[in-house]
Amino acid sequence: MVTKKAMLVDLTKCTGCRGCQVACKQWNDLPAEQTVCWGCYDNPPDLSTTTWNRIAFYEWEEDGQPKWMFRPVRCFHCADAPCVASCPTGALFKDARGFTAFDESLCNGCGYCTQACPYNIPRLTDQDAFEGKANLTGKAKSSKCTFCQDRVYNDLIPACAKACAPGAIMYGDREEMITLGNARVAELKANGTPEANLYGENLLGGLGMMYVLPKSADWLTELDKEKNKGNAPMPSAPPYKLVNFWQKILQPVGSIAFGATLLGSAMAYLITRRTIQMEEVE
Amino acid sequence: MTLRVKGARHVLRIRWIPRYTLLERGMHWLHTATFVPLAITGFILYTPWLQSLAQGNSGQLVRLWHRIFAVGFGVVPIAYVIFQPRRAIMSFKEFMIGADDIEWAKNAIPYYLLGKHGAMPPQGRFNTGEKMNGLIMILAWVAFAISGLLMWFHNVLNLSAGLFQWMVLLHDVTFIVSVCMFFIHFFLAVIHPLMWQGLVSMRFGYTSAAYAAEHHGKWYYGEKKAKEMYEAARKEEHQAD
Repeated sequence: MVTKKAMLVDLTKCTGCRGCQVACKQWNDLPAEQTVCWGCYDNPPDLSTTTWNRIAFYEWEEDGQPKWMFRPVRCFHCADAPCVASCPTGALFKDARGFTAFDESLCNGCGYCTQACPYNIPRLTDQDAFEGKANLTGKAKSSKCTFCQDRVYNDLIPACAKACAPGAIMYGDREEMITLGNARVAELKANGTPEANLYGENLLGGLGMMYVLPKSADWLTELDKEKNKGNAPMPSAPPYKLVNFWQKILQPVGSIAFGATLLGSAMAYLITRRTIQMEEVE
Repeated sequence: MTLRVKGARHVLRIRWIPRYTLLERGMHWLHTATFVPLAITGFILYTPWLQSLAQGNSGQLVRLWHRIFAVGFGVVPIAYVIFQPRRAIMSFKEFMIGADDIEWAKNAIPYYLLGKHGAMPPQGRFNTGEKMNGLIMILAWVAFAISGLLMWFHNVLNLSAGLFQWMVLLHDVTFIVSVCMFFIHFFLAVIHPLMWQGLVSMRFGYTSAAYAAEHHGKWYYGEKKAKEMYEAARKEEHQAD
């Protein structure tokens, strides 16, 4: 039995150096994006098919003092992943180690995962020759953080965790990460951060990337919205249970309905034929 | 039309009366020709059994063909309504379910399956089964068009994720209902041994007067006379019992 792995990201330690962002691009062979200064430290401004990991910047005022926090935005690798529940191809699947794996060769670009994820993580690449034509033809591929599945399977730690200079990203057995996280939260609470909390211990069946947050997740999401960025939600109660309805209920119901109708028709045919034959005999 | 069977003395006389216009039949068959490929490509994406066909490049091709046929599926009824608006409204009114239809549905199984040849409530140009198929296919067209277009262009329209998921749900439920209806319609119209005239009239546009008198009394005799005949027949049956 493989033990479940997880990452613990201590956001009170993150310095926003973006080392993980660069390490992610380097290991996964993702090209850099050309961006413009848009009045914020966030760069690039949003996740994309070539940016699977991005540092979001939060700033606010407290007692007349400026406060800030950095957060790596990437796939949370939740246990009950809505993207996996909605993926019709099996390109997205749960790995025994706990991460939400992705096999690009199986993806058909339907984009259901982009609509199912409560964190707005997976993105579609336009694969058609002209930009935007995929809106018409649907030729696209999804992409997102893979938890460096190629590294993890070879007993290496994910590239971002390896690169983290201040030691904010920790990687190991999930149970161990939870213990570490709770200990850190207790330490922070005792030292003037009363709102510190561990995010994701039980959320969506337990996240594969948990945060130690200095503020509540909802408060930070609201702050993100206020600053008109709004692309990095971190809900404390993720909605979108509807996707589970599709594969778990609607697919079997449909199969039963089709089968029953066909069987009913076949029975009706046999009964009618018998009736006609009986009449001929009479 | 007069038929003489080789070597027989009998002469078979069939009076053909027009039932469907060329455009009505054209719409019906183009609707079929787009519905079936859509159902097949949709089923590939929907069912876990055919997942291997929905994966990767094959899946992209399936999705592309689904969209190509969807355009035809959407356009055909609109073209029909533009070219024959009064006929379309007439047919739509004829699709409305009435008291006779409930009576018909109750008697349909003994009549069509068990061969009880009792009097059936008189039917218009469409019988209850055809009406149900017509109504469900119209509703399905509307539901498919709305949910399909919103799913297709959700990026362009910048729709919320919640709405997208409701549209997937609507598309799937409509798919289940309409495909079940299609199976029943196909069985009754093509396979059922007693109902072959329905297929003939949808192919050539004509139906025999004898069949129309028996199965579409309200249309053949007019509402009043058909009702009188039906009630008289019922009375006779009661007396015979």
